[in-house]
Amino acid sequence: MSIALDQVTKRYQDQPVVNDVSIEVGEGEFFVLLGPSGSGKSTLLRAIAGLTGIDHGRISLHGRDVTHVRARDRGVGLVFQNYALFRHMTIADNIEFALRVRGMKAADRRARRKELLQLVALEGMDERLPGQLSGGQQQRVAVARALAHKPKVLLLDEPFGALDAKIREELRRTIRAVQRELGITTVLVTHDQEEAFALADIIGVMNHGRLLEVGQPHDLYAQPATRFVATFLGAANLLLARQTLDGIRFGATPVTSAGSASMAGGREHEVVAVLRPEEVEIASAREQLTSNYIAKGAVEEIVFTGALERLRVKLLDEPCAAQLLGPSGTGEARLEITRTQPERRLLPLRPGTEIALGARRLHVLPTPLSSFLACASTEAEAAQLAREPLLESLSTNMKTRVGLRAIDGLQDSPAPFAGVAAVAGGPEASTTVEWLLRHGANEVLVLPKHAPSPARVYIHWTDEAARRATLAVSASLLRHVSAEAVYLGIVPAGRPGAARAAPMRQLLDARSEAQHDHGLEMRTELAIGETVTELTRNLSTGTAQMLVLGITDITQAGTAYRSLLAAQPGWPVLIVYRPPDQPARAAPEAAA
Amino acid sequence: MKGDYREPNVLPGFGITLGFTTFFLCAIVLLPLSALVLKAAGMDFARFIEVITSPRAVASYRLSFGAAMLAAGVNMVFGFAIAWTLTRYDFPGRKIIDAIIDMPFALPTAVSGIALTTVFAANGWIGQYLEPMGIKVAYTWLGITVALTLIGMPFVVRTVQPALAEVQRDLEDAAETLGAGRFYVFRRIIVPTVMPALLTGFTLAFARAVGEYGSVIFIAGNMPMKTEITPLLIVIRLEEFDYAGAAALGCVMLAISFVMLLAINLLQVWGRQRMTVRR
Repeated sequence: MSIALDQVTKRYQDQPVVNDVSIEVGEGEFFVLLGPSGSGKSTLLRAIAGLTGIDHGRISLHGRDVTHVRARDRGVGLVFQNYALFRHMTIADNIEFALRVRGMKAADRRARRKELLQLVALEGMDERLPGQLSGGQQQRVAVARALAHKPKVLLLDEPFGALDAKIREELRRTIRAVQRELGITTVLVTHDQEEAFALADIIGVMNHGRLLEVGQPHDLYAQPATRFVATFLGAANLLLARQTLDGIRFGATPVTSAGSASMAGGREHEVVAVLRPEEVEIASAREQLTSNYIAKGAVEEIVFTGALERLRVKLLDEPCAAQLLGPSGTGEARLEITRTQPERRLLPLRPGTEIALGARRLHVLPTPLSSFLACASTEAEAAQLAREPLLESLSTNMKTRVGLRAIDGLQDSPAPFAGVAAVAGGPEASTTVEWLLRHGANEVLVLPKHAPSPARVYIHWTDEAARRATLAVSASLLRHVSAEAVYLGIVPAGRPGAARAAPMRQLLDARSEAQHDHGLEMRTELAIGETVTELTRNLSTGTAQMLVLGITDITQAGTAYRSLLAAQPGWPVLIVYRPPDQPARAAPEAAA
Repeated sequence: MKGDYREPNVLPGFGITLGFTTFFLCAIVLLPLSALVLKAAGMDFARFIEVITSPRAVASYRLSFGAAMLAAGVNMVFGFAIAWTLTRYDFPGRKIIDAIIDMPFALPTAVSGIALTTVFAANGWIGQYLEPMGIKVAYTWLGITVALTLIGMPFVVRTVQPALAEVQRDLEDAAETLGAGRFYVFRRIIVPTVMPALLTGFTLAFARAVGEYGSVIFIAGNMPMKTEITPLLIVIRLEEFDYAGAAALGCVMLAISFVMLLAINLLQVWGRQRMTVRR
């Protein structure tokens, strides 16, 4: 491995900005770190360069552990967004800087400089000052300067950020060509997905300091595992669909055929499906669709963008419209569609035209957290609960919706619960939780008043049967809050030493499963004592802590954990319930 | 008429402001200076030369400009250090230190002169320890330099501070990844980048020091040929009602100051041309 990061964590004022990131970049690979601003990608790049120290983890370059090696001894080349050229030096002096520092002879320096200037197509610029060059030329000088000392790794921090579109593309081509020619391992940081697609061999997507997914550009686009990657890499319509025995249903209409292995559990559940704008088929009537019908719609807006036509379509079928997640998760539900010019010519549209919509290809995200349902005794209280800061930030980050449900008096036989039920914390919480779990809810979030977004999430399950589901839910949750994950294993006190080996092994299994199956890096801690006491003690060690608790026995919620849920001021607790005989859900991709 | 069209300006009142600028320059700067030169021109040439080349006068020039140059040089080094500390580090009391830097601006110079004399006199707080070591500060050229350093310090700090704040951290980071050590980065990247500001600060401190009178006369001891600065000599001439002689000395100070400031400014222009930013 050319670059290997192992559980790298960097905190600023106790807030993790890079959170347990592990990456391996192969020899000669062009790796693009993609993420919105503030996702920690630049900090990670600076950590690789050695300009930022890390709080936890290890960094190695070509098999050499450089975690504690200074930047100047790491042998990397770094290119900055604002070029960072030395303005008082000529181009020649800039490029020769690294060679001069190393005491190379003048003749050798000159030869190397000529070589580099040729590489970036700037021959004859030697005696100019940086101020006399255009932005694109300056950045090429910066690339040449970063390569002068023949580094093994080239790092580029948003190198095109300060340039206009035309020059950006030209420089992009130059950098790709130089990288191919030298075969140098390269990491580029950007927030521009188009840039990432154009340059990358491998893309790693970051958000909230976490590395969400790593993969080849096409795979990430076609089969994202998280809703963030789905919406950040290109445009995406997110739908709440139901996974049933007959396949996936969107509202009342089946979208895919039956026969998927995902229904092993035998229970219906809600899933999040990704429908790319170009995968929506438009026809004037349902019968003319070649793909699966999803809904009827009315054209609202048509934007001509050159090669493509972009449409915004309002769904006319009310129950279906309610299942469509808007770009921010709430508000208006509109379907984004793009059509090519030939498609447009076949069926010209105008705003207001009613059309039938079909899905050519639907990708179901493997996330177990689809939507939220705020439950309280009255609708008004439920609405108030939905405005809790934690729930609000979760639903916004997850681009999903928060439904409202009045469950006054805990009457029997309610409508099925979809998604995560949210209830207010307090003395009655455990009763409500038990009732919800008995009536079909699989996950319940207990929210104390004004609970902040957590900085640390503890994960614990009472029974190994709940492990898979709890880890899946935790991983999904932790993609949407910037918190560190800690698995808390608890061994009853008074057991002989030999009997502790089993929990220890479970702990390590849990960690490798989290890492391997969900890309979730979590720390592990082992406590000795009584479960509820130990959970309470650990949750009390700091502010802004949260618990994900996996259980297999409904009565536990009402009895054993009563004090935990009733604590004042309390902590957010996400209860994941799986009956012991029900295997965890897995929702594979479904293609129509 | 065609030629009369003027590009409308965002801020009106060019005529008025230019008028004021000219008036201000004439009334406050040029007129008094011309009067000075005229007064000196009133004497006959041989007498003029005699006054300005008298050994006492020459000794005072050397002291005035030498001490001012030395003080400005000291300020350049330590003012840079202070500016560096204030811009690069955050520590408790930083704001207070930042405010204290301006004190010499506000303090009447006579007060600082008296204060320095108290401290550096042979029996003063610091002077009593320096005396046994054979270092005399008060009533020597050293004392003059100390006084001039004190009053010139804020000029350097205040001009270098913004320039240092503007040095991009990226430049240092870039140099570091290229293999440069800290001292190398400082010498080859930071100092050249803030050099123009440093020179401006030096110029201001120097100009202020040359003209300084109040604080120096208390600590200088004012012995002719030894610790007598030119401004003091001018005052002495005035007290003797030798107006022409005073004016002659004034003219010399004016000429030397002008030449030196011009030289420093040219140096800066040359430096700035090298740093011109064009995108």
